[in-house]
Amino acid sequence: MGAAAGAGALSAARVGVEQLLVTLHRQRGLILVLVERELKARYRGTVLGYLWSLLNPILLLAVYSLVFTLVIPARVPTHVPYPLFLFAGLLPWLFASGAMLDASVVLLDNGPLLKKVMCPPEVFPAVTVISHLVHHLLALPVLFVGLGVAVAAGRATFPLTALLTPLALLPWVVAVSGLVFLIAALAVHFRDLKDLLHNLLSLLFFLTPIIYTPELVPEGLLRRAVLANPVTPMVQVYRDVLLLGQLPSLATWGWAYLVALLSWGAGTALFVRLRETLVETV
Amino acid sequence: MSELAVRVRGVSKRYPMRPQRGRFHSLKGALLRGELWAREQAKDGFLALSGVDLEIARGETVAVIGPNASGKSTLLKLVAGILHPTTGTVEVAGRVTALIELGAGFHPEISGRENVVINGMMHGLSRAEVQRRLPWIVDFADVGPFIDQPIKTFSSGMYVRLGFAVAVAAEPDVLVVDEVLAVGDQAFTHKCLDRIAALQRRGTAILLVSHDLALVEQLAHRTLYLREGRPVMSGHTPAVVSRYRSDVASQEAGEAASEVRVGGKRWGNNAVVLTAVELLDAPGRPVGSVRSGEPAALRLAYRVREPQEDFVFGIAIHREDGSHVFGTNTDLDGFRPQRLERDGEVRIEFPSLELAPGRYVVDAAVHAVGGLAYDYACEVCTFLVTAPVGWPGCYAPAHRWRFSGPDVQAPPAEG
Repeated sequence: MGAAAGAGALSAARVGVEQLLVTLHRQRGLILVLVERELKARYRGTVLGYLWSLLNPILLLAVYSLVFTLVIPARVPTHVPYPLFLFAGLLPWLFASGAMLDASVVLLDNGPLLKKVMCPPEVFPAVTVISHLVHHLLALPVLFVGLGVAVAAGRATFPLTALLTPLALLPWVVAVSGLVFLIAALAVHFRDLKDLLHNLLSLLFFLTPIIYTPELVPEGLLRRAVLANPVTPMVQVYRDVLLLGQLPSLATWGWAYLVALLSWGAGTALFVRLRETLVETV
Repeated sequence: MSELAVRVRGVSKRYPMRPQRGRFHSLKGALLRGELWAREQAKDGFLALSGVDLEIARGETVAVIGPNASGKSTLLKLVAGILHPTTGTVEVAGRVTALIELGAGFHPEISGRENVVINGMMHGLSRAEVQRRLPWIVDFADVGPFIDQPIKTFSSGMYVRLGFAVAVAAEPDVLVVDEVLAVGDQAFTHKCLDRIAALQRRGTAILLVSHDLALVEQLAHRTLYLREGRPVMSGHTPAVVSRYRSDVASQEAGEAASEVRVGGKRWGNNAVVLTAVELLDAPGRPVGSVRSGEPAALRLAYRVREPQEDFVFGIAIHREDGSHVFGTNTDLDGFRPQRLERDGEVRIEFPSLELAPGRYVVDAAVHAVGGLAYDYACEVCTFLVTAPVGWPGCYAPAHRWRFSGPDVQAPPAEG
């Protein structure tokens, strides 16, 4: 038989991690359109539309400022106002936890597309990561404006390290991508994962120095648990660079990147391993 | 044989019989005992399809028929690449589009236009290609100004029309269609069939799953008949569809499936048996060849084992490559059966057999009006048609040339 070259050649599907990346690259147009759809559909019918992407973090910052200055004044030893300290830790956490919670339903929700339009499954976790990243990037200016206000009021100094923001954000993006692939694939087989994840994330949130600094934790087992938490170096890198204006130690950088790479490796390997069974199980 | 678009070889598909809670008994078990990484046991589960071979050439349409749960949709999803075969290989050349559920994946909150872009890209088009086809899609789906409204405001008719329009606008190399041509009103169904025909001419290979046997006969060049996941028969459409009708009829009559003989090319319950099928020349002698345009007849001799009051005699003539040339039966031509008691014979006479030269194959059958086969014999007789000139095609009517203008030299008179 005369099988033509390129797209015309008869080809059987085979997938490895490299193949996953190839597919994602080939489907980049579709992924971008789906991200656009996600963002559009989210605010469709609301009066303020895209403004909500900006308003949500502003309101969140306002609520935390109110609570932690008037209701329960926090005793965290930092040279910046506590609401900003909290906000800088909360932003990447919300990016990660939001993407992971979405990941636990993304393949199930898009079941019709997988089964009936034969969309490659890896497209959807990618869309989840990117759309949450877009929201995160939209919220970042709020942090910097808040910081600017604090600087103007003489309550903080502008951190020059903010120029390294991309380097602090990168481990988050890599880790979240891996975990989103991992959770998306696992959630198809274990429907309980979604509920389990909610609780795991709550536990992890309080084990991570987001609303406190590790120095505030009583020495001993608890402090060791906080320091051993793989999210801790990632939060530290992010907050040190974006807000506190101090360079994290090389060890902290290394830990953050190691955690990111391990998450990515485990997530994509598991996704590729389960890929063939995803569509028929969804 | 032209270039292949789909090649399915020795394919089987086993669906795991999973416990209620999913593939793994528990997350703990999966992680601790390594179930997550172990290949699933190939022997467990439900065998939905086994031993299926299928080849579809470019421009060819193949239908898959069979009762429910015969594995038709599984085969279709394997070809579409939605499922992966347990054993065997599925190879597909070029871009595949699946028409499994029209408008699957439309997002209710965003506009028809945006949905068309997304759906088109999922069918493998680039954004620019979708934009270029958008006017055609809007026109074909006949949704007019609604295209800029959210999909949730669409009527169900507009929804499926738009779904069909996007899918076929992609001009796929391979199209798999699962029972979706019956949606919509008459006018739209005609439009769909026109579009399918256009794709056929364009060279799209089509795999069609349908319970609508009339549609299958109209569209499919070849047909595969599946039962309980196994191929029963595969070949040119009229014979396969007749076989399926017969099986359905015998099942309704509470009988076992028809006895099958001679390598799957002959079946029936043998209440009436064809004892001879042959071509006769003008004087009525059995012959193996006949001159184009001369009188000829087909003779069907039969023996009656159980007298019948419901019977149809039929013949079909096709080329060796399976393309259909002619077919008719006593029911189609208006004869009402009264009684079939004694052995005898039936002849269909052609005052002038206007076939182009070449070899022809005859299927003959005696069956009930409802399709239940007493004896259905495929390729039971072949004959050769000769002619002084090697006209192509299969129809060679008497004809003459008349010239007023060109100077031509007449051919030498025939001896």
